[in-house]
Amino acid sequence: MRHGPWLFLVMVSGTTPVLADLQHLDDEALADVRGQGGFTLETELQLGLDRLSYLDDGQAIQLEGLHLGSSEQDDRGAYHQVRVNIDHGAALNLDYLVTDRRIEFGDVRLAGAPGVGMGGVFFDHSLQGSFRLRAGGVTGGAGYSFDSAYTMTGGRLGYRTNGNEVFLDDVWMDVEALGMTLDLVGTALRLEAPHVRGQWRVGAIRYSDNPLNHGRSRDLGSGDWLPSYGGLEGDYELSTITLIQAGGRRGEGVRLDHEARLNTAGFIYLDDGHPLAFKDISGDFRVNDLRLDVDVDGQGRPALALTATGVDGALSIGALALGDQGQSLGAVNFRFLFQDHIFAGRQYRNAVYLQGGGHPDAGPQGLRLATEWSLPSADLSYTDDGHRVVFSGLQSWGQGDITVNVTRSGERNGTRFYDGLRIGFEGVKAGYRINGLRVGDENAPLQGGTELLLALGVYPAYEFELDGQVTLGPGGASGEGIRLNSDLRVGNGRAALIVAPYDEGAGEVPQKGLWIADLEYEGHVREMTLDVTDEGLALVQGEAWSTLDVGNLRLGDKDSGASFGRFVLERYEQGSVMTVVPGGAGDVCIGGQGSSGASCETSGGRWEARGEQGITVRLKQLLVPAAADGRRNALTWEAHRARDSQGNAVNGSGMRLVLDDIHTSDGGDLDGAGAESNDYGIRTELGVDVYQTRVVKKQNGPDSLGVQGNRGDEKIMDPSAPQGYRYVSNPSVEQAANRPLGFAVQARTRFKELSVRSVDLIHPTGGRQTAVYGVRLQNVDLRANLTATPMP
Amino acid sequence: MSARGLLLSVCLTAGFLHQSPVHAELAELGDDAMARVSGQGGIYLSGDISINALGGPIENSYFGRCDDRQKTCGARVAYRLRENGGWMVLDEIQGNFAFEGLTLRVRSIDSGFGGDGEPFNGEVLELGLPDTIRFSDVRFRMAASSTARPTDPGFRQTDIFTVDMQGEVLMRGNLLIFPSGAP
Repeated sequence: MRHGPWLFLVMVSGTTPVLADLQHLDDEALADVRGQGGFTLETELQLGLDRLSYLDDGQAIQLEGLHLGSSEQDDRGAYHQVRVNIDHGAALNLDYLVTDRRIEFGDVRLAGAPGVGMGGVFFDHSLQGSFRLRAGGVTGGAGYSFDSAYTMTGGRLGYRTNGNEVFLDDVWMDVEALGMTLDLVGTALRLEAPHVRGQWRVGAIRYSDNPLNHGRSRDLGSGDWLPSYGGLEGDYELSTITLIQAGGRRGEGVRLDHEARLNTAGFIYLDDGHPLAFKDISGDFRVNDLRLDVDVDGQGRPALALTATGVDGALSIGALALGDQGQSLGAVNFRFLFQDHIFAGRQYRNAVYLQGGGHPDAGPQGLRLATEWSLPSADLSYTDDGHRVVFSGLQSWGQGDITVNVTRSGERNGTRFYDGLRIGFEGVKAGYRINGLRVGDENAPLQGGTELLLALGVYPAYEFELDGQVTLGPGGASGEGIRLNSDLRVGNGRAALIVAPYDEGAGEVPQKGLWIADLEYEGHVREMTLDVTDEGLALVQGEAWSTLDVGNLRLGDKDSGASFGRFVLERYEQGSVMTVVPGGAGDVCIGGQGSSGASCETSGGRWEARGEQGITVRLKQLLVPAAADGRRNALTWEAHRARDSQGNAVNGSGMRLVLDDIHTSDGGDLDGAGAESNDYGIRTELGVDVYQTRVVKKQNGPDSLGVQGNRGDEKIMDPSAPQGYRYVSNPSVEQAANRPLGFAVQARTRFKELSVRSVDLIHPTGGRQTAVYGVRLQNVDLRANLTATPMP
Repeated sequence: MSARGLLLSVCLTAGFLHQSPVHAELAELGDDAMARVSGQGGIYLSGDISINALGGPIENSYFGRCDDRQKTCGARVAYRLRENGGWMVLDEIQGNFAFEGLTLRVRSIDSGFGGDGEPFNGEVLELGLPDTIRFSDVRFRMAASSTARPTDPGFRQTDIFTVDMQGEVLMRGNLLIFPSGAP
């Protein structure tokens, strides 16, 4: 009872410029209040602070330009009304109403890093809710219990650097948190929220490059709505326990331990009303020993350090739905454990060092995150119509700087910037690898087949050094959406095309495989739009060009394996389109023809009903003829290179075979524009499903795991068998339902014309000789039904 | 993007078969031999591929749908070996291929092969051939043409021969591909 009034007074005195008439109510006075209607406090609050500092071992982090007032009128305060009541249960009840309040700070600076800041944040909102506080926590005695419920309307939450800002606009939120407790347990403050549920909506995520638009939804000059990335909405029901203690990783600081259980949640991204929905989300999440210090990073740069001993959890997305019909692509599960681990002989940990500045040419404000991560164990699974494939033993590690700026289009100090949220990569050295596949659940036998990920554009293992930027701008091909400009460079890369597990159960071993090693990549994308449409996800490239230079295609070890030579793939596209729609191939006739099971079987084929879920990808690739500045589509193979003094092959010193100036065409000037028409391109449609596939034994006798069978027998999964499968000569319908799972791809590729201008041989001293003066492929319609499974 | 990765690996492999100074050696290995090999990734592929089953995307005075007997509905490849020379042409390419059990993996060899395996002691890219490849209505025409496109002015074409394939081809064993010589 006696703690309630004190807490109330602290709240009020910390936020008001004393328009309110504050009174210290003692227990006796409150006793008089009991049974009455309470009292109502009305204030118009306006508060300004030049600087608010937090000191940790003598190092300071400062919030600058702190301001509280009206979000609608700069010179006004925000209206607050609080009704105070003590009920018969001796609980303090606050019913409050807050109208058009803005809380903001202009910058966050570290005292040791003058001249740069992390940028500002503003938060506009109106609130109506209630707060009930009573004595006694979860352990009873000296703690508190409280309930909170509120509705927030008209919210804006923005991040601002150098006068440019990205903000969540028109935020609505309805939250109820009942039975929360606050206790002192040992030296830790324990906050438990056993039941929190809420719904929320973000009307738009807006961008502004005009400082005069600060905190406004419409452009000050034109009156138009500021451009939008789209909207968000969701709901959740969760419980959390948080422990807060004193003591940083070094000296003073704060320690946090946190545990959360997400009972149910949903998340929807809306682009002009078209949804991308993550449904039936659940999971759990733990943060162990997160320390917050004002410190320096590994390079001695002042920073706000967040370091964690461990982070683990699991996330399940029951359905990933796209488009107006809400059709599902399938379910996704992710289990992860971040903790210290040794990769390639080096210890990695999990830490983020927040620093001011961002990219140095973008202006003094921005975020720099000196980051290090260590993910020694994770599993990622995908379930399609009940068929589950687990990519097991995912590991990742890395270190480097990530910068974040809100930028406007233009060139400054030789660096090109674009409108939007710029995410930069500087000296990021990272890698990942996947041990193998498991089918059904995480405890199924490990098998190969991570190469199947190549069908999704993902290497099974990859180590790289990354520099560059991705800028996410507002506005899609029409209306809301995302506009992307990027420049990325990968150096010293080593990626696997085919690879063996790194651990088959007897400890870690060097991975053997087929590697694209000594890889250098440079890729640029201009004005690519990303939109959710009525049927799916559409990516439209403005212009994209890249060079993939594989120094050595190695077999065996990624560093020392024998090399096939150097391969260089140059690409240049304009106006290419990729569309992702839910649903895979549907009903398919394999090896025959027919639109029904009976007609397919009659033609010698095999009928497969692959269900409703899955993914279909449609591509239109417009390969542009070589440009005057050298951008082109070409493939080069180089061998017999000279060696430098360290024994490394010298690129450009060997014999080269070049397929030069590969491009598409419609076969003539069809629109009378005076040049070859190039609107059709290469059109590909891929329907991808996880589905049972027929796997046939190719030899008599035991297979690689000692399972007996005869040539022609089918592999049938059987959990009761020692290796999880057996061979069956003529499987029944029931047995056929237990065929091994794999990726089934229905593909169709069409193009009107694909040309290679020349095939040249280039000798290091003899120069270029043309071997083929042009190749022209016309009128191609290629259809394929392929199934890919791990090796039996 | 998905197809690109897969296509790249397939193209590279196909490219090696024709261009690389590799020493490919065919050897039929039993599963018991494979049983001695551990730590192998790899995939098992089955399926069917058809080319211009109903026709291609071009409809003009030369190309059309397959039910139009006045038009060519197959694909066409033209190339020339001399600047300003004539074009060699594979025309009216059509057909269907089906296979089951094409495997692709990296394999370590340190024994066998008549005593050659032990000194080799390295990795190879193993293409496990499917038992059978079934051809249905596979056909193409070899020709010589004055122009790359059949719609170009002055187009003249001389057909040389036509190939028509039906039935099954038995393909057993493995194709082993490995680097040799100076990269």
